[in-house]
Amino acid sequence: MSGNKTSTSVGHSGPEDKGHAIIHLRVQTPRGIWTMTEPVDAVKRPEYSPSAKIEQVIEDARTVFKFVEQDSKYTLLRGSEILEPQRTLVSYKIEDNTLLVLSVQGGNA
Amino acid sequence: MSVPVEVSLAAVRAELVAAADYAAAAGLQIDADPVAGDEPRFYVTLVNRDSEQFCAEFNCAEYPMFPPNVEFVSPDRSEKGTARLYPQGFHTTPCVCMRYNRKAYGERGGPHSDWRLLDWRLPTGNGVGIDSLALMISDLHSKILQSSGRMA
Repeated sequence: MSGNKTSTSVGHSGPEDKGHAIIHLRVQTPRGIWTMTEPVDAVKRPEYSPSAKIEQVIEDARTVFKFVEQDSKYTLLRGSEILEPQRTLVSYKIEDNTLLVLSVQGGNA
Repeated sequence: MSVPVEVSLAAVRAELVAAADYAAAAGLQIDADPVAGDEPRFYVTLVNRDSEQFCAEFNCAEYPMFPPNVEFVSPDRSEKGTARLYPQGFHTTPCVCMRYNRKAYGERGGPHSDWRLLDWRLPTGNGVGIDSLALMISDLHSKILQSSGRMA
């Protein structure tokens, strides 16, 4: 355990959040899975308002697994579907406990 | 200097746990039967945006001292390394031109005589250092998923 306090990533809420529950995600990355309990020393947990943008999930997953390099390409997927960073979770009808994938592309030679 | 096959097998088996988790979540198929049969080699089937399948062989002899040899093969594995087995977007040698691919190095006949095999974990440019099998699969997955068509 790092001793760091775990925070949540609920993000901004807007009118479209009314009546919606918080969405808890599972995000598989090449360095492990990010859930409400794993990794145990995660500095954030994957819980979001429906209006949170995909780019926020990407940014938070990068923080948790220390993907600090800016020149790599980070893409969030649902199955083989590429999720656009500027769209919201609710626009993809992403439900509670959905498994997403953070794919990481290294630089090009 | 060489790496005993037992060492490579142990490293591959240990890393395949995380690689298999990633592959399962991403809907990729891994065939690790050769590893179970004491060969440090496995296969990953990847899909491009046109739903065409590509089978990548990871030959991990002398891993982790040296990177795997990554090569595209036919589904029955009788054909290897020809342009028609490659997705678009890779070096036309043909080659997966990344530090994690032994084939890319000049000392192994590849285009990069400016790289040293022992430095294979270094990042390419300012990108993430691709230093694990799961990251190698993720890099290929990301590139192929966004590509269309075959090299030939």
